[in-house]
Amino acid sequence: MNSFWNGKRRFVALLMFLAGVFVALRVPPAIPFIQLPGENFPEGYNFPITDIRLTNTMVGAVIVWVLLLLFVVYVSRRRPKDGNEVPPGGFYNMFEMLFEGLMGFVGGIAGGRHFRLIFNMFMTIFLVVLLANWMELVPGVDTIGFIHPHVKEKYDPVADEYKAVTTDGFEIYQGFLGFSYVNAQCDWISPADEATADEMALANAEVAAMAARQTLIEDEAYERYKAEHGGHDDVEHAEDDHAGEAGDDHGDRAEDAGDTGAVAVARQEALDARTAEKQARRDRGCYTGVAVSSWEDGYEPADKEKKKEPIPLHPDPASEEAKRVPWVVLPFVRVPSTDLNMTLTLALISFVMIQYIGFKALGIGYLTKFFNFGTLFKSPLGGIDVAVGLLELIGDFAKILSFSFRLLGNIFAGSILLFVMSFLIPILPWPFFILEFFVGVIQALVFALLTAIFMNLATVSHHHDDDHDHAEAH
Amino acid sequence: MDPQSTIIMGKAIGAGLAMIGAAGGGIGIGLAVGGAVMAMGRNPDHTATIQTNMILGVAFAEAVAIYALVVSLIILFVLS
Repeated sequence: MNSFWNGKRRFVALLMFLAGVFVALRVPPAIPFIQLPGENFPEGYNFPITDIRLTNTMVGAVIVWVLLLLFVVYVSRRRPKDGNEVPPGGFYNMFEMLFEGLMGFVGGIAGGRHFRLIFNMFMTIFLVVLLANWMELVPGVDTIGFIHPHVKEKYDPVADEYKAVTTDGFEIYQGFLGFSYVNAQCDWISPADEATADEMALANAEVAAMAARQTLIEDEAYERYKAEHGGHDDVEHAEDDHAGEAGDDHGDRAEDAGDTGAVAVARQEALDARTAEKQARRDRGCYTGVAVSSWEDGYEPADKEKKKEPIPLHPDPASEEAKRVPWVVLPFVRVPSTDLNMTLTLALISFVMIQYIGFKALGIGYLTKFFNFGTLFKSPLGGIDVAVGLLELIGDFAKILSFSFRLLGNIFAGSILLFVMSFLIPILPWPFFILEFFVGVIQALVFALLTAIFMNLATVSHHHDDDHDHAEAH
Repeated sequence: MDPQSTIIMGKAIGAGLAMIGAAGGGIGIGLAVGGAVMAMGRNPDHTATIQTNMILGVAFAEAVAIYALVVSLIILFVLS
């Protein structure tokens, strides 16, 4: 240990520590932004060929598969073909040690007729979950990604206007004509809010109607301004005045919105300009980088007056007003075990394998474990057997829930812990990384071990041939 | 009090109350590990078996605490 820290390594460590201090002082840490479902990538980042939007947990899962495949190829290539070869060392040896140790471990639990199948399932689940869990320790996972303002727009039916809200749904400003910033297309932050095509069409129609109404209001204000300051110059103004006289009533004006002449042209131009602006905002929607920026004066402006000011939806990151916006990062890669989809899938696979091995070992008689009517009329306690069987049935389905939520809860809580600790003590969050290292191993082991044990239990009959099976196992 | 802050308050209180369930998991894990360590001290030859069973028991006890955690996470981040 001592010799490890001699020489240059000491200085490298010191340098990294100083860099940590410098970064922690210089750059405000990103606000921990916590979202339970996997975050959707912005539009255009689809899963290849299909139109399924990628999520960052999906990317993490793909990385896990690729790594696992690479390991498999590596291990099967390095495997000595005969006993005469030089014993392999290094990375390969680690796998050999792992497999040997766990083979003995599982053999002690489920070393029966079905050991091969059980061990294969155990090892597959163990490696997948282990790699997935350890991804949270890799720097850059959960921290490097698209940077976007922590803002989106939500239609408020009561006030009949669009309001900017944070992605949690909290309003951050009120009373501003938000709809000129409506950007239904960029609603990719929360998958729950993703609109269907019909809803999108409806929203677009709504937006168009509001834009038209806004144009009317603006025209009216313009004309009032003209009337106050005297419209005397040229033909265009005369026409404007004429239009103002002709349509005192709003409804009338709305109906003859398509009138010819300069007004219509101007209106069209204004609409075009607004559309172009909207498109520009939409294009500017997402940035790529590392999360370094946070809201300068906290989550909420301390200044009451400042709170009233509208916060732009997609501000230029270089501008002054961008400092008032809470910026969050949408990571490229997130730990796949923090997504219920992944853990639930694994739990379902495990559940199916448990039932499969049960049927394989006991045939159709496996069902008597759940529907045990054989003793109903034979023994006085037959009813209890039936109830126990039904309880087993419910318990088997509860396994899916408990498997998936155990892994999800542990790893999600772990990554929140790492996130918050890196936020609170940016220089020294290492102890928590060590903790999470062990939590990752234990959870992978527990998931795989429980699968192995339940598979082993499913192969054991409940009836009199119990002893026979046990005798075979030992 | 404006409705938004009432909602936030309710969420925070609810999430905190849900996490009371974690206490049970903690007690369970403590009992399981305590028992296992005593057993290992008595007969060290069976350490491997005891350890396996301990990990299983701990996982089951922890699952209950994790349910509480999931409920509070759902209250905080999913419920709107």
